Amino acid sequence: MARPTSPAVNADSLFDALIATAVDGIMVIDERANVLIYNAACERLFGYAAEEVIGRNVKMLMPEPYRAQHDGYVGHYLETREKHIIGIGREVSGRRKDGTTFPMNLSVGEGMVGGKRIFVGIITDLTERAARDKRIQDLQTEMWHVSRLTDMGQVAAGLAHELNQPLTAILNYSNAGREIAQEDEQKDLETIFAKVAEQTARAGNIIRRLRSFIEKREPNRIEEDLVRTVEEAIRLGMPDAADRNIRLELQAKAGLPNALIDRIQIQQVVINLMKNAAEAMENSSKREIVLGVAQASDEFLQVSVADSGPGLDKDVADKLFQAFMTTKKSGMGMGLNICRGIVEAHGGRLWAEANPGGGAVFRFNVPIAKSEP
Amino acid sequence: MSKTVLIVDDDADVRDSLSVLLMRSEYAVKTFASAKALLDAGDPGADCCVLADVRMPEMDGLALQRELTARWPRLPVVIMTGHGDVPMAVKAMRAGAIDFLEKPFEKPALMEALKRAFALAGAPPAEAPAQKISPRQVLTEREYEVFQLLVAGDPNKIVAYKLNISVRTAEAHRANLMAKLNARNLADLVRMSFADENS
Repeated sequence: MARPTSPAVNADSLFDALIATAVDGIMVIDERANVLIYNAACERLFGYAAEEVIGRNVKMLMPEPYRAQHDGYVGHYLETREKHIIGIGREVSGRRKDGTTFPMNLSVGEGMVGGKRIFVGIITDLTERAARDKRIQDLQTEMWHVSRLTDMGQVAAGLAHELNQPLTAILNYSNAGREIAQEDEQKDLETIFAKVAEQTARAGNIIRRLRSFIEKREPNRIEEDLVRTVEEAIRLGMPDAADRNIRLELQAKAGLPNALIDRIQIQQVVINLMKNAAEAMENSSKREIVLGVAQASDEFLQVSVADSGPGLDKDVADKLFQAFMTTKKSGMGMGLNICRGIVEAHGGRLWAEANPGGGAVFRFNVPIAKSEP
Repeated sequence: MSKTVLIVDDDADVRDSLSVLLMRSEYAVKTFASAKALLDAGDPGADCCVLADVRMPEMDGLALQRELTARWPRLPVVIMTGHGDVPMAVKAMRAGAIDFLEKPFEKPALMEALKRAFALAGAPPAEAPAQKISPRQVLTEREYEVFQLLVAGDPNKIVAYKLNISVRTAEAHRANLMAKLNARNLADLVRMSFADENS
């Protein structure tokens, strides 16, 4: 047996130590799937002690339906030599002693020892990674759900505001017209103006009802770590930054107080601003988004999203937050309007300025959570 | 010298329609497209009243109100809001605005607000709310709770939710407490809440 080792150490004891101390689970089974080697990491993973497993069929460590099928798989391989897992490795489920299952990566190698075929399995626990993936997936689902509700509410709120302006003008004009008609004793005209005013009031009431419908969504503002909130938003919203050649940076001071926010809504704002920034830089050679979290005053924390795009031109800057205002080829022009609605509902403000280094900076404030005395 | 209404709204049609509406009134009108334009025009002097929209780009009505209170504390301000901006209007009143109007509004409501504003013109804002009735003394405990939420800008539905009562009950409390306090609108209630705090 030619194992390259230092002559100072006994090769077998080194091999044993290697197996025993490996972080990954190492298992060896024979042709009939009986366990020959089961290391300490396996004991931790599966909850069975080595003596409970050694000599028994490895299928005891698998959940159904694999448990029932495993002997068949081994037999099939020995007969046909068709490799399904050997030499490749894949993500499978393991079954712990307590009956629970966990995700693991299993890679299987094949060898001959003393004329007998053995299979070596290396097991990496994926529980944590799976938990992280699941959390991100949950967050995405939750965000999607809340976003839709919020979007609907904010679209309605934005529309209500925009519609209120012309309605105000119509009502003012018709009331003025009615007065003039009255003075000139033009009865018919006076009646008509009165009817215009009446219908305007009616439209105003529809908006009022729309708003009270929106206000049904109960705000869910709690103390949150704003830096973590923004970090999570970056992960959720820009997982592909590197692929798009965008350098993303988060600058935040340690020890900032907590913010009083609806986390998902604020993440929606951050993601929206990041996506706008990324789109603005599509034709730029330098693509950099710098996010910042800082304390703005005794009352407010500030989040900033700075890009290295072409910046805002004056015409656009003036209308930036209006509903249905967009510079994009496809887009509703509601994004920033919604964002501003969300921030204002938090008692903060959202605005844009020129980035001194070129590009644009969007900033918004959210209130600091004041702990109850 | 005639009394002048200084209209500040970023919407040109709203400015124009208000000018037309006030054309046949006792008031003269000047219009400004932004808070900055008004501030840049300098001290408007006596016999003026500002009628400003709460929602404007750059400097909003609330920031304008604060700035005006700092620069020309005797200049009365009436704030115009959309339906949902009541919390902002309440903040503006706390910052010293005389009254607020929910857009779109009828002429009598506007004239009433302007009349009140001009009556108070020249008086330091802190002395303005002189209320004899104290809500805390006149109202039942539940009504007082409703009162406090209303003046914080909560609509009936949110009041009902926060107090765990039906919307109908919240509305009934609202009607009762308005009657008890002899208040015509939310702005009246907000004014009374200041008097209550100062008592």
